[in-house]
Amino acid sequence: MSTWTGTVRLARTFLRRDRVLVGVWTLVLVAVCYASAAATGSLYPSVADRVSAATAINASPAGVALYGPVVDVRSEGELAMTKMTVLYAVLVALLLLVLVRRHVRAEEEDGQAELLGGTAIGRDATLGAAVLEATVVALGLGVLAALADVVGGLPVKGSLAFGASWAGIGLVAAGLTAVCCQLSASSRTCAAVAGAALGALFLVRAVGDTSAPTLSWISPFGWSTKLHAWSHTRWWVLLLDVGAGLALAGVARVLRARRDLGAGMLAPRPGPSVGSPRLAGVLALSLRLHGPMALAWTVAVGVLGVVLGSIAPDIDSMLDSPAAREMAQRIGGRGALGDTLIAAELSMTAVIVTCFAIAVVGHGGAEERDGRTEQVLATATSRSRALVATVAVALVGATWLSLVTGLAFTLGYGAAAGDLGDTFRRVVPAALAQAPAIWLVTAIGVAAYTLRSRWAVLGWAFLVAFLTFGQLGELLRLPGWVVGLSPYVHVPKMPAEPFALEPSLVLTGLAAVLLAASWWRFRTRDIG
Amino acid sequence: MAQAAGAPVISVQGLVKTFGGFRALDCLDLTVLPGEVHGFLGPNGAGKSTTIRALLGLLRTDEGSATVFGRDPWRDAVEIHRRLAYVPGDVTLWPNLSGGETIDLLIRMRDADPSSSRRATLLERFELDPTKKGRAYSKGNRQKVALVAAFATDCELLVLDEPTSGLDPLMEEVFDECVAERKAAGTTVLLSSHILSEVERLADRVTIIREGRTVESGSLEDLRHLRRSHVRAEVSAAVPGLLGVPGVYDVTVEDHTVSCTVDPEGLAPVLEALTRAGVRTLTSTPPTLEELFLEAYRGF
Repeated sequence: MSTWTGTVRLARTFLRRDRVLVGVWTLVLVAVCYASAAATGSLYPSVADRVSAATAINASPAGVALYGPVVDVRSEGELAMTKMTVLYAVLVALLLLVLVRRHVRAEEEDGQAELLGGTAIGRDATLGAAVLEATVVALGLGVLAALADVVGGLPVKGSLAFGASWAGIGLVAAGLTAVCCQLSASSRTCAAVAGAALGALFLVRAVGDTSAPTLSWISPFGWSTKLHAWSHTRWWVLLLDVGAGLALAGVARVLRARRDLGAGMLAPRPGPSVGSPRLAGVLALSLRLHGPMALAWTVAVGVLGVVLGSIAPDIDSMLDSPAAREMAQRIGGRGALGDTLIAAELSMTAVIVTCFAIAVVGHGGAEERDGRTEQVLATATSRSRALVATVAVALVGATWLSLVTGLAFTLGYGAAAGDLGDTFRRVVPAALAQAPAIWLVTAIGVAAYTLRSRWAVLGWAFLVAFLTFGQLGELLRLPGWVVGLSPYVHVPKMPAEPFALEPSLVLTGLAAVLLAASWWRFRTRDIG
Repeated sequence: MAQAAGAPVISVQGLVKTFGGFRALDCLDLTVLPGEVHGFLGPNGAGKSTTIRALLGLLRTDEGSATVFGRDPWRDAVEIHRRLAYVPGDVTLWPNLSGGETIDLLIRMRDADPSSSRRATLLERFELDPTKKGRAYSKGNRQKVALVAAFATDCELLVLDEPTSGLDPLMEEVFDECVAERKAAGTTVLLSSHILSEVERLADRVTIIREGRTVESGSLEDLRHLRRSHVRAEVSAAVPGLLGVPGVYDVTVEDHTVSCTVDPEGLAPVLEALTRAGVRTLTSTPPTLEELFLEAYRGF
């Protein structure tokens, strides 16, 4: 029996188990590719329009930091894929991170890997299968993205190169995650390390693209623009992706051989031998469990806010065609273009902030499934208090993150455009005006969780659906009533439009009704 | 609501719980008296954990009644839980809380104070390192974390669901001592298990369940009394025909030796017949708990 025995069979099992996640994630990314490809032609009909838009991006350091440079300012394909090539490639990397971590670390933590390890599969099969699955997913996603571009009307050769760059990013992310997952016994820590590594690579590219172009050669995100996908393609750059992916997978294999099943390369740090007196109830427990995540989110949302805020003044000049202007207004509302953009970006960050709340609620489902909720409820803790402890952290946390977004955006925008006080008055209320939509989506997640603990993950499905309907609905040309299903489109589009009490009250009221129903349900259903 | 002295701590009558079409509990009865260690026996999937979770108010039952301390566990869960400690069958810990933190958290959530508890001595006796993170503990050590938290404070009722699974024999001994100490202090113990020797060592009374139904309940002596003994005898004359005698089963004859199993009411006629045949040697063995158990499982 070779050490790889069972790899292919395992990879097939992995793919089958991940089919929903991979399917939905791929569908959304491919749909965005198609929508952008199809929309660009009408947004920037002439070469002159494209050149002016692309030049505006290249002229803005923040734009280049976020999207990478536009290499060929005349190319329709490159302009259409500006956001996809580097920024949305992060989402490709994230998908592979989630997949590889699940099979290389999370299942080891849960003990499933031990069960598998006892069967007739080789020592390297689990890692091999995870990498194989990741390769299939990355290539599949690349092919579909290329197809979406071609169907959207972009040149075939460029579309293929662009799709290949996504597949390449996926391979590198898979290899990187496989290495990071050897480090710690905790799958949360492994995810954090892998995420931080990806973030660092993105940052290196951002610094490189804006100030020292050679530096970008260090980062796979830099390779995607160095590939010159849309004109004079340097196909050999793809070899860097493949080579790095293989090398990282090889390193992961060597590290894997040097550690025990269930252990990490880094020794776990011991914890305190006695509990703090403050850790005395279910709310304190919930704060303790989610505290580190909330802190990380605060930092991440803060950075994002500053970056978005600092590009916002530049984008004004980027959207210098009437069609682009109209599109921004459709998402961000009518008003001065700068205000419209702020509203559109705050609407996006509202979706991102909701992810925190949904993650907290989903964690509640996992707690119950694993039997920890049972232990809590077997103490003098009422069901109401247990539910409140989770929901409060989700709602208060998301609201706090909205405020952080607004403050950070103010800082970034104010630093670029001057006049902090005025920006503060325009942006912070606008960020907080998003909260009712965040509360409602969170409440939907809570309702799913209280119906059945296993349904807690449905919160993610709703979030993705609302993102697709609301934020991308215009791009995808969905009918108005479908777009209207998303709570995010109903919040007042501040600062472009004035605050509106009615929709805010309706959204908050709906959230309150759902939460009350969830509370009632949680008190009357079986636990487990 | 004060409880009458001597009233059962746990009283379950005709309890039914269905999950979809599956009847997990099917008219289950269980009575646990104050101060006793009550063994709750049954094969895997018999409904032990379901019963316990119903008694903790975690599950809503369909029919029948259940009370703990004379109260309804569904309505008065929090009041009941203040007076008991629970060790689940499969302990899962919070991965990034240390064992010590988890123990203190569970004690505090029962409104007790860890610093005035027996925590320190228990950690020593169970040889548990409280500084490890939850994810780093083995199954046995996770079990110890829950046991230390349960034994550390005085409570009126201990609900232990297969508490020794994963413990090595030395630790089982420590566990036995702890149960004995708690019993001496007046705590009532409901001990679910499928390990007979454990129940035989610790329990005053047992309830045996199978497929969600109570098949036996009583003290071990009572149960033994009701069961068949093994009788083996050597006789000088021809072996008497025992097949027709009521209460006699599994008769096998080999030369002058006869062996059979006999109900209590069949013993007298068997002895009579053997005496007539000129009995030379006679052994009669009472049923082991193992046999009781297997018999109950097979649904006699």
